Formats: sequence, C-alpha cells, structure tokens
Amino acid sequence: MINATNLSKKYSGQTVLEIPDLEVPKGQRFGLVGNNGAGKTTLFSLFLDLIEASTGKVTINQIDVQTSEEWKPYTAAFIDESYLIGYLTAEEYFYFLGNLRGVSKEEINIWVQEFEPFFNGEILGQKKYLRDLSKGNQKKAGIVGTLIGKPELVILDEPFANLDPSTQIRLKKLIRDEAEKHGTTFLISSHDLTHVTEVCDRIVLLEKGLAIKDIETTPETLKELESYFSN
Amino acid sequence: MKSFSLLDFLSLSKKKFFRAPQWQFKLAIRIFLGFVVLYFLVAFLFLGIGGYYLLKKQNPETDPIFLINSFLGLYFAVDLLIRYFFQARPVTEVKALLLLPITKRGIVRGVLLRSLGSIFNAVPLVVLLPFCIVHSIENGMTYSVWIWFLSIICLSLSANYLTFLINKSNKIAAVFLGVFTIGYFLDYFFSFSISHYFEMGLEFIYTNPYWAAVPVVILSTSILLADKFLRRQLFLDKGLSKKKERIIGSNLDFFDRWERMGFFLKNDLRLIIRNIRARQVVLMGVLFLFYGLFFFTQDQYSEMPSMLVFAGLFITGGFMITFGQYVPAWDSEYYSFLMCQNLSYRKYLKSKLYLMMFSVIVSSILSLPYLFFGPKVMLIIGASGVFNFGFGSVITLYSGAFNTNPIKLNIKAKAFENTQNFSFIQLLFVLPKLILPLLVFYLPYAFFGFYAGLLGLAVVGLLGLIFQKQLLNLIVKTYQKKKYQTIGSFNKLVS
Repeated sequence: MINATNLSKKYSGQTVLEIPDLEVPKGQRFGLVGNNGAGKTTLFSLFLDLIEASTGKVTINQIDVQTSEEWKPYTAAFIDESYLIGYLTAEEYFYFLGNLRGVSKEEINIWVQEFEPFFNGEILGQKKYLRDLSKGNQKKAGIVGTLIGKPELVILDEPFANLDPSTQIRLKKLIRDEAEKHGTTFLISSHDLTHVTEVCDRIVLLEKGLAIKDIETTPETLKELESYFSN
Repeated sequence: MKSFSLLDFLSLSKKKFFRAPQWQFKLAIRIFLGFVVLYFLVAFLFLGIGGYYLLKKQNPETDPIFLINSFLGLYFAVDLLIRYFFQARPVTEVKALLLLPITKRGIVRGVLLRSLGSIFNAVPLVVLLPFCIVHSIENGMTYSVWIWFLSIICLSLSANYLTFLINKSNKIAAVFLGVFTIGYFLDYFFSFSISHYFEMGLEFIYTNPYWAAVPVVILSTSILLADKFLRRQLFLDKGLSKKKERIIGSNLDFFDRWERMGFFLKNDLRLIIRNIRARQVVLMGVLFLFYGLFFFTQDQYSEMPSMLVFAGLFITGGFMITFGQYVPAWDSEYYSFLMCQNLSYRKYLKSKLYLMMFSVIVSSILSLPYLFFGPKVMLIIGASGVFNFGFGSVITLYSGAFNTNPIKLNIKAKAFENTQNFSFIQLLFVLPKLILPLLVFYLPYAFFGFYAGLLGLAVVGLLGLIFQKQLLNLIVKTYQKKKYQTIGSFNKLVS
C-alpha cells in the first residue's frame, strides 16, 4: 500500500528521520510508537507530502506522492484539529468531505447514523461550529470524517488522546471493524501502548528518527514495549 | 497580594513581540508603520495650527471654537463607529494572569490603562492641543478654552471606555446603532439635529465653564461602568469564554446547482459570513463600491479619465482587491488538510479564481445605480468590470502564491497593527495590480482617445478569459513550487 525507500528528513543539517526501507502492505493496521520528538508526525507528514523529503521517496500504490496527486482520491488523514474546518458544523464538514470523495449528502446522512454510538449524541444536530466543540468531540468528528467514501489508506495521529475511556474502547472496535469490512489500511501513531498494541497487528518503534523495532503484535508485545520505554 | 503594574504588562507585551516568529521582519514593518503614524501626527498638528487661521479667515466674526463644536457631534459618532470596528481590546490576554497572585482589580486596571495607549485617543489630543495653544496666543490666555479642551478629551476617553461595553455586548451595540440611525433620520427628515444639541451643549460649557463637570462625570461613569463590566467578565465562563455563536448561512443549497464550483463558492461564502476577520475585510471591499461617489460627483475629475478608470477598477474589483489578496491565506488554518484531500491543486485554485470572478459580477451588478451619472460612467465601469473579471482575477490569484502569512480567521485585526498579513511582496504586487490596468487604458487613450482606452481594458480582460486555461496552468505551477513553504508557514499559526 505504502512504501518508503531511503527516506530521510534533515533540518539545517540535523537528521530528524531516517527510514532506509519501510513497506506497509494493504489491509495492515500499522502502529507507530515513540517518545516526543521521535519523528512520528514527521513520518506521517512525509507520507502525505506535506513536507519535502531530504532524500528518498514515498509511494502510495506505486504512485510517487511528490510528483503526482493521484494518491489523494483513496487516502484520508486526521493529524490534529487543523484537519477540521472550524467554521463548519459537523454535518457540513461531512458533506464537504463527501463532496470531495463523491458521496452524496443523502448517502452521508444515512451513513453517519452508523456512528451514533461512537458520537455519543455529542456531534450530530448540535448547532455548533466545530471550533466550539471540545477537543475530544473535535477528534471524534475528525476521525469519522476520514472514513467517508471508504478510503483505502487512513492515517491517524494520536487518535486516542483526548478521548474519554468509553470512546477509546469504541474507537478500537471501529478501527477493527473498518479494516475487516473494507480492507482499509490504517497507520496509527500513539503514546498509549495498551491501545496501540490492542488495535494494530504490527508495531514500529521510532526513536530519534530511527526505526528501532519492527514487530508483529503478539500477546507479549505490550510487555516488550513497556520494558523498552521504562529504561 | 502584589498588584500587577503597567510595567509588568509592558514587559509581557515586549516579550510577546520579540519572541514571535519573524519578529525582525515585523519590527521593520512596525518602524514603517511608525513613520506612517508620525506622518499623520504631523499632518494633524498642522491641521490644528492651520485650522485655527483657516476658520478665522472664513468667518472672521465667529470664535473658531463654535465652528468646531458644530461638527464634533458627527465626529464622535464616527469615532465610536471606527473604534467599534477597529479598536482591539486587550481582554483576551489576561487568562493566564487569573491564577497568579495578582488582584482582579489590578488586572482590570491594567487593561483599562493599557487601552489609553490606543492611537484613537491620540487624535483629538494632537489636533486640539496645537489649536488651543494658537487660540490662546491669538486671543490671550483664557481658561475657558482649556476647560473646553479638557471636556473634549474627557468625552473622547469616554468613547474609549464605552467601546468596551459596545464591543462585548451586542445589545448595547444595537442600542448605539439604533440611536445613530434614529438621529440620522430625525436630522434628514425633520431637521431635528442631535448633533446641533450636542453643539449647543459644548457651547454652553465653553461659555459657562462650571458645566465642564458634566463631561468629567460622563468620563468617570464610563470608567466605572467599564471597570465593573470587566470585573464581571474575568471568569472563564464569562468574558474569557468563547462566545457561543448562532449558526448562520446553513441554507445555501441554492449554490448546489453549479455542482463542484457552486460547492466551493458555498464554502467560501460560509467562510466570509462566519468569521470576524473575513467579514471585516469584505466590509472594506463593499465600501469600495462607494468609491465612485468621490470621483463622479466632482467636475474636476471629468477631465481626468484616468482617475475615473481608477475609480471604476476599484468599484468592480473592491472585493477582489481586499479579499482576494489574502487567497490562499484564508484557508491557512486547515491548509494541510486541504492538501491531502481528494482535491487537486488545480481544482482548488480554479475554485478561488471563480470566487473572484463571481465577486466581480456581484460588484458590477451592485454598481448599476452609477447609471445615474450617465452612460459614460457606466461604460467605464463596464470596461473595468470586464478587465477585472478576465485579467484582474488571474493577477490576484497569481500574487497569492507569494503570500505565505497565515490568517487567524475569527480574530479581529487591529488598526495600525495589521502586520500579520503585510508582506513586501504583496506590496510589490500592488504595482502591477494598480498600474498595469491604468497603463492598459492609458496607452490606447493617449493615441486614439477615450473609447479606445476603454476598449483596451475590455480586450485585455477578454484575452485573460480566452487564455485562462494557460494562465491557470502557470499559476498552478507557481503554487506547486511553493507548496512546502506555504504549508510550513501556515502551520506556524499559533492557536
């Protein structure tokens, strides 16, 4: 699905990220963990062609993200609140995304009903602009927004942060369900080791811009990661 | 508890300035703006000194103060209006101070004191002080002049503090607006002038100085009101909270009939009506519609067709000039989001181009009343409209590629502090944007006469339309080249 070769990012001579080779196959739930400054968001930004790579390239379905825009139709991402349009209501935001991804207003109206339990009655019909919602509710709207139009690749940065415990549990189910139903590839970064090991089938550990570990998730993974981070 | 002094406030402001990104650049602009302000101050100074002699020359019999009084009513009305739109209040910065051991009284005092530093308070001072000095020199020192002077200052400062109330409460703003409108209509239809009573009041103070107590009472009342008001606002769920906004513009389905482009237009209209900053800028654009009234009403300009064309370009392109120059910065809050959506750069830019072209159509329709000034004026507006529609829009969009300063959408811009979106490159683009159309008009005009000039404008506009695809390709390429830089600087928007 997504391929990075010889990828690196330098800021004024200092290397902040160096990934010689990384391949995420289609349908994988890929988890990215690491402390602050490890390069998680940098990696995602490179995947989405939001920053320029110093060396190497990223391809999504064999399409070089830097030279073509053809990867955009089947890719969706929610990195932070700046991925919302603050002056729209949640519904208007969903229609906006629907319009871009070829889903009609009527289809959206039916489709979002599915997510009512996840929204917990705090998103739809609120008569509030997204900028006036709480951080947690903004996140809920943003995450569901990425799923509109069944994109093949969904990138979520810290999706569990700011969510209440019930919503965290629902989110894990949501990700698993989507991946099963539509074969969606998920790239998820998180500080929360428990959640990320539960929901992902592969974990990559970044430190100071390098991929230190690349492991398939087993029942022991959580312990392994915890012991790594407690040193 | 320690009281929070003005000095502490100043020190915080200083840090805020010097630690902001690109502060050197901002400093340069501040210095430039400083010169602009200085220029105005000197101009006002001369207005104050020269004003005395000018008024004396026109009406040797009357005391100039009486003449000044006659338009002070209008002055204060306009003053309040401008303050309402442009005077920013330092209220939002106090949140961090709430938990520190500073008395609330201290915080409120700091805010009230700091608001005195506004440029709006300096205007009456710099105009009237030299005026009063000249008056005293010419007529001998009389204390009544100075009492009058202090009364005016008191009233001006009252306006300063009343703006706190008007700004934060829509109800109070509505009351003021109501009074202005009623005052205007009374004046217009019944010749009952509030301004005249205001004038009489000021005369009364001038001749009976004891009554100067009234402005002093007004000032102290407004300070007390502002103080009380602010003190009540110093809670997270009151003045420091984000205002809950009513949803407006939810029903714009009308635009859906134009499919994709209608959809983008709809979203941009929402951007405009739902964000303070955008509304402010668009209001400026609307004011340009009236620009023609300056030029078409005065005979001296009818012999200067270039000036008339200049007016025509502003009338039809006012919105495009004010709003369009900040494309794509209007989307800066969520630019990375747009950049990874299923939306090619080309389609995105095309939608912005259509928005500008749409605005030219709307402005042209709204300028139909200029028909009143005759068919010649209408032709000027028509030719300028075609030019702006086809070519001005393209130039504006192209220049946007170089504007990488982000905009905070829902925050008021401060007057004289609009450094956030001021860049020298934009300034450079003002030249082609204004000079080029004039040149396009002037060259054929100089050789073949007035109508050839207008034809030149229209032809260039049509050429822009015909080659729009090619021009857009060029624009897309330019934007693509600057993509990372644009995203990078838009992301610096500190929320």
